Amino acid sequence: MVLLEIEDLHASVNGKEIIKGLNLVINEGEVHAIMGPNGAGKSTLSYVLTGREGYEITGGRIKFKGRDINDMPIEERANEGLFLSMQYPVEIPGVSITTFLKHAVNANRKYHNLPELDTFEFIKQVRQDGKLLGIDNDMLKRHVNVGFSGGEKKRLEALQMTVLKPSLAILDEADSGLDIDAMKVVANGVNALRDGRRSLLIITHYQRLLNYIEPDFVHIYADGKIVKSGDKSLAEKLEKLGYSNFVCGNG
Amino acid sequence: MAGLFDRFAVVKGAAYFKLLASRAREIFDSRGIPTAKTEEWKYTKPRGLDVDNYEKSAVQFMYDFEEIPIDAYRLEFINGRLNQNFDMPEEIRVESIFMAPEELFGHLADINKNPFVALNTANIEEGVFIRITSTLKKPLLITYKTSVNNTNLFSNIRNLILVEEGVSSEIVEYFTYAGNEKSEYFNNIVNEICIKDNARLSHYKIQEEAFKANHIAYNAALVGYKSYYKSLCVQKGANLARNETEVRLADENAATDVDAAYIMNGWATIDTTTWIEHLYPRTYSNQLVKGVVGGQAKGVFQGRISIPRDMVGVEGNQLHKALLLSDMAEVDVKPELEIYADDVKCSHGAATGVLDERQLFYMRIRGISEEEAKQMLIDAYLDDVLSKIDNNALYSWVRDRIK
Repeated sequence: MVLLEIEDLHASVNGKEIIKGLNLVINEGEVHAIMGPNGAGKSTLSYVLTGREGYEITGGRIKFKGRDINDMPIEERANEGLFLSMQYPVEIPGVSITTFLKHAVNANRKYHNLPELDTFEFIKQVRQDGKLLGIDNDMLKRHVNVGFSGGEKKRLEALQMTVLKPSLAILDEADSGLDIDAMKVVANGVNALRDGRRSLLIITHYQRLLNYIEPDFVHIYADGKIVKSGDKSLAEKLEKLGYSNFVCGNG
Repeated sequence: MAGLFDRFAVVKGAAYFKLLASRAREIFDSRGIPTAKTEEWKYTKPRGLDVDNYEKSAVQFMYDFEEIPIDAYRLEFINGRLNQNFDMPEEIRVESIFMAPEELFGHLADINKNPFVALNTANIEEGVFIRITSTLKKPLLITYKTSVNNTNLFSNIRNLILVEEGVSSEIVEYFTYAGNEKSEYFNNIVNEICIKDNARLSHYKIQEEAFKANHIAYNAALVGYKSYYKSLCVQKGANLARNETEVRLADENAATDVDAAYIMNGWATIDTTTWIEHLYPRTYSNQLVKGVVGGQAKGVFQGRISIPRDMVGVEGNQLHKALLLSDMAEVDVKPELEIYADDVKCSHGAATGVLDERQLFYMRIRGISEEEAKQMLIDAYLDDVLSKIDNNALYSWVRDRIK
């Protein structure tokens, strides 16, 4: 089944066109990687997909689970199963991780007309999920991302993904700032969610993460659109040849 | 500490209260309600207050009032009158304010300095003299209930609280109303508080008056040797509200924390005014005031710290922060540091901001609605102050009330 369908997407930030005719189809269970040089607008794509203010769709359309999402509020997209692991997760002083996760899970359950979770059961579950990602009980009491190292932030993103169980997770530079051990932990967390139905869209600058989360499709993104698509061997080729061989139109 | 009172002029005699009231009447009549030209009142303008247009007592309407669900000894005022039906333990002596010792009454809250203290003193009808003689097992909760229909009540309540040597105590004041929410009643409250040596008082106040009401309160505390006064005031009601706290740190190692939180909407003005006087070397004060202002409302903070000559080793810190929720919301801040001594540590800071779009986005991409995300951020913002409430039951209740 088609999960995400992007058709001739054009999008602007502050009146400047960043995405210029992007096409992409992601089916259930597929893992796609979008690779591109810095400044190509990869993060812009993640913000357009999630509906961030200031990121305006000027042409084309995005369908998620068959619905046009242009007019869907941010939280509705999330509750429909679209998840974004941010490149730079935001600090929220005064809100503990547990409180934050509980609000998110209950908002999601409310959206699907399910009763709120029992706090005790919820905490038990989060602690279990946390363990796999090396997040202990003390860390769960800390305020969201406040004073976290780069690795801790990315592990917390992975925990949120594990708890919320999205249909499509966009991982925006999920490995930036991680050493090899931390990256393995995050990759294991992400891989644990792959059940043949959930899909991933990995946005990355380097091929490194793709050694641990194997993609079915690799797309090279430059100047606002996908310039080349292939299987995972394309990522390896890219690593050897560099972006310049692909983005100048002579790839 | 006795020597300290010698500095205040004491009017002796049985007619003391009457005499003070008539002096106060003269002062108020000659000065009137302060205008914007009065420095202390330039941000909070009580110009709409016509004290002759209020009624001093009225028929009581029977309503169900909000009660704070904590384990406490309880006193209540209904429409400015003390409910005589109360049970107090031996360690809390409650008497009429007219039984208050003359060497204290009228010496902490000065009729010459504040027009509303003068107004209160001139109109004093009701109030309690509370003496806490040994450490309390649970807090004393004083609830001020206004039950209003179409009358505009004017209540002047005057209390004197005396915490005896070595005693540790907690008092919670709660202002609430029932009935016509558009009533423009006026509560003018003065608390004189004396904390003797080696004693402690935690004084919490929650102000939830009706949205067109006026609430002006003056709290004057005197803190003795090695004693501690904690004042924490949460204001969210009234059209015009001012909570003024004056703390005199009168002996070595006297310390105070004066914290406040306010959250408001509509057209309200909520004012937090503090004056910390370090009257002895090695005295300590800390203040954290945080506000959330929406609509066309106005938050005011005036914080004065006085450190006279030779008051060495004093520490005084003050921080005010406000969150503006709308373009029309306003915050006025006036810190005043009067430092005449060397070898002191004193700091003050003020910051005003808006809700962070990045934080809202981050919460919404996790499925939390915009409204709920804003509320969570506001709760978190004010929690820096509210988490200083040591009484857990009170803390949980207050956190729910600010929603």
